[in-house]
Amino acid sequence: MSDTALGPAPSLPPPSDGGGARRAEGVGRSKALTATTLLAPATIFVAAGLLAPLAILFRYSLNEFVARTKTMVEALTIQNYITFFTDPYYTAALGTTIRVAVTVTVACLIVGFPLAYVVARTQSRFKHLLIIAIVLPLFVGNSVRAAGWMVVFGNKGFFNTTMMSLGLIDRPIEIMFTEKAVIIGIIAVNLPFMVLSLQSVIESIDRAVEEAAFSLGAPPLTMFRRVLWPLALPGVLAGTILTFILAMNAYATPFLLGGPLFKMMAPVIYNEFTQKTNWPFGAAIAFILMAVTLSLTLAANVLLHRRAAR
Amino acid sequence: MARLDIQNLVKRYGDFHAVKDVSLSVADGEFVVLLGPSGCGKTTTLRMVAGFIEPTAGQVRLGDGDVTLLPPWRRNTGMVFQSYALFPHLTVAQNVAFGLEMRKVPKADMEKRVEEALALVRLSGYGARLPRQLSGGQQQRVALARALAIRPDVLLLDEPLSNLDAKLRQEVRVEIRELQRQLGLTTVMVTHDQEEALTMADRLVVMNEGTVHQVGSQRDLYERPADRFVAGFVGRTTFLAGTVESAGRFRTEGGLGLAVAGGTPGKAALSLRPERIEIAPAPLPGLDNDLPGTVEFVSYLGAQIDIHVRLSPADRLVVQVANRADGFSPEVGQQVHVGWRASAGQVFGE
Repeated sequence: MSDTALGPAPSLPPPSDGGGARRAEGVGRSKALTATTLLAPATIFVAAGLLAPLAILFRYSLNEFVARTKTMVEALTIQNYITFFTDPYYTAALGTTIRVAVTVTVACLIVGFPLAYVVARTQSRFKHLLIIAIVLPLFVGNSVRAAGWMVVFGNKGFFNTTMMSLGLIDRPIEIMFTEKAVIIGIIAVNLPFMVLSLQSVIESIDRAVEEAAFSLGAPPLTMFRRVLWPLALPGVLAGTILTFILAMNAYATPFLLGGPLFKMMAPVIYNEFTQKTNWPFGAAIAFILMAVTLSLTLAANVLLHRRAAR
Repeated sequence: MARLDIQNLVKRYGDFHAVKDVSLSVADGEFVVLLGPSGCGKTTTLRMVAGFIEPTAGQVRLGDGDVTLLPPWRRNTGMVFQSYALFPHLTVAQNVAFGLEMRKVPKADMEKRVEEALALVRLSGYGARLPRQLSGGQQQRVALARALAIRPDVLLLDEPLSNLDAKLRQEVRVEIRELQRQLGLTTVMVTHDQEEALTMADRLVVMNEGTVHQVGSQRDLYERPADRFVAGFVGRTTFLAGTVESAGRFRTEGGLGLAVAGGTPGKAALSLRPERIEIAPAPLPGLDNDLPGTVEFVSYLGAQIDIHVRLSPADRLVVQVANRADGFSPEVGQQVHVGWRASAGQVFGE
């Protein structure tokens, strides 16, 4: 039950050994051998622990499910995928998931950038404490945190009682078991990932480059748009990808803060597998979630790069 | 271009005085170098002129206007940074054009001015390259072109040569200086390298611990240092510790009695430039001071030879001689005589 378990990681090609090929063959061979030795454990683990189950799951998604006996029957059909896209219940869940993930990602970027900038540029001796403070929320498990949010957000929770006793509102604001609660909850989980991705990249940008822009006549906003943002783009990409994938696959937060009627993809998949024991359909939804996540991530990537190239 | 006036500039960080009451006027077209060890406040002063640091007190005037409270983007200063600070994602031409874009220069004009600026630093034809495709020296010139393209009121150089190798540095020094003269640029440069400072400046400002110790020409600083710090920082010198017994008489800690020019009684240090001292195998009559000593150390520097001579258990002197074919070149352990005129030394009271 963890939001932080990364979904299918975008697979990167292994670093090519371009320079080695041209050198003496003996050196090249021993280098290749070292590379193999270093890459092997992780490769085997990923193959056995991720690719194999995925392949099996994909095969399942093409099987049939007999509802009467609750059994899976071997077949080769895309009916499960068709069912998903023709049933408004499921497409609505996908729509909600994308909407929540995009909102969360944009919010994390807007809130996270200034924070990351300050942390990256601070000269304070307490910088490491700042970073720990940012990571600290991750020390608390998602379920525990969600339970905490429930106490805060409830109609008789901390937030509403405080606001009402201060006379700022006369009726509790409905937060618990709404999309608002889920979005706030996931932002809280994902923000550290965004901030750390941005901070490490901003730190590598020479402060003098910003000053150069200022001295050439660029006010702060222009400097940000023309210099800081394009140079921070790798961090922006890493942060948004991480945040978006985590939000798309969020399980505990939507389950606990969204309530029984709120549907996001991860809880729906879990439900298909465990409650309905409909493995073929569950597998199909899992693949749809994965495909949508990957294609949206890629699309955002291309878009950001194209805008930066202008 | 314009004149630059700094009046009673102060920068405090808590209890720490980074800059204490610095005043300086730079005439239109003048090249002034702020020289001092690291932490002396020279960079802080320059950054207050550029507008990156807000002064605690004092005034910065550029031309006729008071710019003390203006942010850097509203001042017309051209800055070259130690790290060059080129925009790595922009081409050379885009880098140079950046300041012109900010000034809303029309497109046709802009291209011409970018071309001109690149031609000034002999980088015509490099416009389409990215900074990382250039050598350090070329990057440095792009930074200069970028600062010059905006036709700044004052050119500010923050240790611009410290990232270049020694040979290139000597070339770029001359190049910057020629460009500065040719364009009549009001320029302030910061450096800790005294050779760099001496070769480039019209006037030098020696700073230490946030204060200006002396402002003057190369000759002023070397021949007439205002205090012990300047004497020690500009050029090489040997200090002999001791006391002025009466005007003209100095006694070292090692007990040597020396003739000096002037001085007021009390503890003092005698500064002696290594090349103003003569050394010979025999006594040196005709000089105000003539002392026997033992050669302790010889370092052979090619054109010159440094000879360290022990005069007494507490006093040691460095003598520099030109490496002439017929010159005297003693060996370690040899007994020699050293001598100098009273006017060759300078006494600094404590």
